[in-house]
Amino acid sequence: MRAALLLAALGLPAMALAGSPDLVAEGERWWTQSPDPANPVACATCHWDQGATRGWAASFPKWKPLPPPAARVMTLFQANAEAVTRHYRLCDPRRAAAAITAYLTAQGAGVPLSPGISAGQPVFPQRLRALVASVKRGRALFARRCDACHRAGEAARALTAYPRAVYGRVEPLEEFLERHRAEEPLAWDSQATADLIAYLTEESR
Amino acid sequence: MLRAFVAAIALFAVVLGLAVAGEARTAIAGTVKSKTGQPLPGLALLEKGEIHNNVWDRGALVDASGRFTIELPEGGQYGVHVYSSGYLYSPQAVRVETGKTLEVTVTLVPEPTRANDPVIKRAGFFPWGARQGKVTFVKLEVSDPNDDLGPQVMAFNAATGRVYAMDPPRKVRNLKANFPQGVYQLEVDTSQAPISPRDWHFVVADHQCNTTDILSFPHEPKPARVIR
Repeated sequence: MRAALLLAALGLPAMALAGSPDLVAEGERWWTQSPDPANPVACATCHWDQGATRGWAASFPKWKPLPPPAARVMTLFQANAEAVTRHYRLCDPRRAAAAITAYLTAQGAGVPLSPGISAGQPVFPQRLRALVASVKRGRALFARRCDACHRAGEAARALTAYPRAVYGRVEPLEEFLERHRAEEPLAWDSQATADLIAYLTEESR
Repeated sequence: MLRAFVAAIALFAVVLGLAVAGEARTAIAGTVKSKTGQPLPGLALLEKGEIHNNVWDRGALVDASGRFTIELPEGGQYGVHVYSSGYLYSPQAVRVETGKTLEVTVTLVPEPTRANDPVIKRAGFFPWGARQGKVTFVKLEVSDPNDDLGPQVMAFNAATGRVYAMDPPRKVRNLKANFPQGVYQLEVDTSQAPISPRDWHFVVADHQCNTTDILSFPHEPKPARVIR
């Protein structure tokens, strides 16, 4: 109910279903099965240890050490989209990435948020500094784009509602933000979107 | 006076010796195994700094018991990449403290198919005549059925412990781009000693982590097989 009110406050339909069982199950399929029978390496082929992957969702947004110049702070959805584009060679990675995001988020239910830090992994100061800078940029962006209508704390609490299924369509937060202000779109896969979500995640803690 | 001077020198030497002896080494050591716990031999290659930055540093052979140790001049952030023939390579970002040995465990999973693997067609060592043997080109001909080679066309010199990403046949836009198929090369300074092909090991991985077998001396590629 509270989540629904918050979603309503953000102008979202109250029937949004974050982490719906169907979406989580779909995410598990994407995680465990490659869509290409000729290239059967799936996410779970290498990332088979659920003990290790359980903490992933809670560790985002974080610095993803992709080969330069692609390395940057990313949201879980953005990181998943990058991974399925590369490994599954999907032209449009968003559906698979959203489902995998829902799956990993469900798998990590109850794990405290720790942006930038993965349980059992070393802490890299340089990566944390990049995340701090991202949060700072996100704060400035929120003040410019969102502050007139939304309070940061309220918006931050709605983060957990994503990715959601609306009328059979899956919508990650990044896509919602892209469409939310048509006059000034924010690309779902952009650094700016990651910055905004990094800031809201920080506000939600 | 002279006696005091000699005594002071001796004391200094003892103190210095103790300091050196007490200096713990900085290293990464590891165990490599399959999911079933079987130790795996292969290669452990290091990037210095952030993982996937393609700044390759040093490495080691992983022995038959799955053990390796790489001594480091200093602590810091490194990317450890472990390869074993028939397995998908494993990357891991680590942080090593100066004066300590970081122990890592690497579990590799077999490649479900080898059909998508890059292929090392041949390797060769070519002294450059114009430089009277002072430079030798190490060359590796590589193809990839998926045409998504990455920067990991790797050469490892076990005698020196040095690791190299070989130069692609033509310029590549950035490290995320698909690298070209063809002949990769590495210019090696052989002015002090001739190159010994026995020391050289090669491995290639593409952007999807498909990994060749490790090609060691006599550098005669064999058909890759799936490990069951």
